[in-house]
Amino acid sequence: MRRAVREAARATMYLVKSVALSIASYLFITVLLFTATGAVAVIGIGLLPETVLLIRRLAGIKREMVADRTGRPIPEAYVPITGRRVRERVRTAVRDPGTQADAIWVAAYYLYGNLGLLAVPLWVIGLPVDAVWCGLLRRRPVVLPMIGWLADLDADGSRILLRPSPKAALAQRVEQLAATRADAIVAHGAELRRIERDLHDGTQARLVSLSMRLGLAKRALEHDPRTVRELLDAAQDLAEDALTDLRHVVRGIHPPILTDRGLTGAVRALAASSGIPVTVADDGVDDGPRAPAAIEAAAYYIVAEALANAAKHSGCERVEVRIARTRKGLGVSVRDDGRGGATDTGPGTGLLGIQRRAAALDGRATVTSPAGGPTVIEAELPCVW
Amino acid sequence: MRVVIAEDNALLREGLVLLLRTVGHDVVAVVRTGPEILPALLEHRPEAAVIDVRMPPTFRDEGLKAALAARQSLPGLPVLVLSQYVEQSYATELLGGGAGGVGYLLKDRVGRVEEFLEALDRVAAGGTALDPEVVTELLARRRNTPLDSLTAREQEVLALMAQGHDNPAIAQALVITERSVSKHIGNVFLKLGLPPTDSGHRRVLAVLAYLENRA
Repeated sequence: MRRAVREAARATMYLVKSVALSIASYLFITVLLFTATGAVAVIGIGLLPETVLLIRRLAGIKREMVADRTGRPIPEAYVPITGRRVRERVRTAVRDPGTQADAIWVAAYYLYGNLGLLAVPLWVIGLPVDAVWCGLLRRRPVVLPMIGWLADLDADGSRILLRPSPKAALAQRVEQLAATRADAIVAHGAELRRIERDLHDGTQARLVSLSMRLGLAKRALEHDPRTVRELLDAAQDLAEDALTDLRHVVRGIHPPILTDRGLTGAVRALAASSGIPVTVADDGVDDGPRAPAAIEAAAYYIVAEALANAAKHSGCERVEVRIARTRKGLGVSVRDDGRGGATDTGPGTGLLGIQRRAAALDGRATVTSPAGGPTVIEAELPCVW
Repeated sequence: MRVVIAEDNALLREGLVLLLRTVGHDVVAVVRTGPEILPALLEHRPEAAVIDVRMPPTFRDEGLKAALAARQSLPGLPVLVLSQYVEQSYATELLGGGAGGVGYLLKDRVGRVEEFLEALDRVAAGGTALDPEVVTELLARRRNTPLDSLTAREQEVLALMAQGHDNPAIAQALVITERSVSKHIGNVFLKLGLPPTDSGHRRVLAVLAYLENRA
């Protein structure tokens, strides 16, 4: 009996919130209707995107409530309303399939939102009935559990209505991909320019200068052997500098050790040379097919950057690196036992670089670093194995 | 000296052969792929092998693996490994056996003919030749260690020691007397808390072990 009351109380809390939200939604419906009719008269049209945003927030609250009760989150899929011009914003708001879905939900909620009020008579009847039924006759409670079913009914109905339609999910995905692709193209362009500049200013300039010295040395060969020696020395220095430059450029394009040893081997080499005790768990990433080269290179640079940050800023004693296949691709995590408190903007802006690298490949990187530590950097890079 | 060369790039291969023959070494075999290395070494038993890290068929670290395998089956075989880039863990693997007669150099160093030949001689004689870049990386790793208490001169001496040079060579490189080299080395070992070791491969290993494990 006590359990039945507790369950019913929990369901009632949910229903109370649900009813409150439903009352709030009446207000919004009014606003929406107002803007819909007002849209014809120009004043209202500017309000439309704002109304849509408010409804999204309302739906967001309901999603959280349902997730709280059922323990299963409901994904969200909206096209972000951006842009400064009202026309653009209105167009995005109207075209987003999520807007229609939300409108249907609000209308439906107008009807089913108040079901929660039934909890009141159920309590009134349930308490005495179940007290007799269950307390005296030792049967299972009958009326109070109905409050729970009511809450479940509300939650399940909401889930069906609030779940993004495949179309909305797709629209959101397309939006996301367009944004990351644009970022990737910009990043790629910047990378190409950097390589071009490095080769042009460094290697090429040195080789020209080297060739010039060889030419001068040939001229001086007959009459001035001393100068020839000096020129040849200088030429050799230039050749070595050019080689060093090239090595740096190559390393920046694709770390050669990745080719030699695969991702696990390369990360182990990084760990060995970092100067801090680092343990590497690889979960058999190198068994079977390898991840695409760009993904491996990004993972390698992320680990390198994270280890460099840990060594420089965290004051840690040891670091754990983990690389693993995930459902979506390749997962990387670097965890140190240092003092924490790392931010994207403070010392160690390498963190920003890590996020950019991940984002350019449609991946995600998170940094958690509470004051006092530990700092954990996690990245997931989507790919097909 | 009888030498076996393993290098897949034709330009570099011919350059190496030319260089070694010019100074009077006997190049007994030249191989172009990874799997050929070990049989050639077993057949010719050279006094030194010069091996490129990246070789066909996989173009990964075939050469390095062959060098390690060769040192297993022919203990003490002097091996000089050349690479387009230096990777500290490769140096650790090569030196891992503890035996002398190992070299790990950037290909660029071949251009400094005298120094390259000297390094080859040193390796053939059971010594060590470690690329300066490996040593620099090791030295640059972490701050706040006893290394900071070394004077600039002592650090230079330490770096040359780690590269595998003996006292006369260090004296020559720094243009100081051998006596002051010994003095500096004594100070380095004292400051780092290392037991004094005689000149040679054991000393290199002691210094490298210190540099690698310091954290």
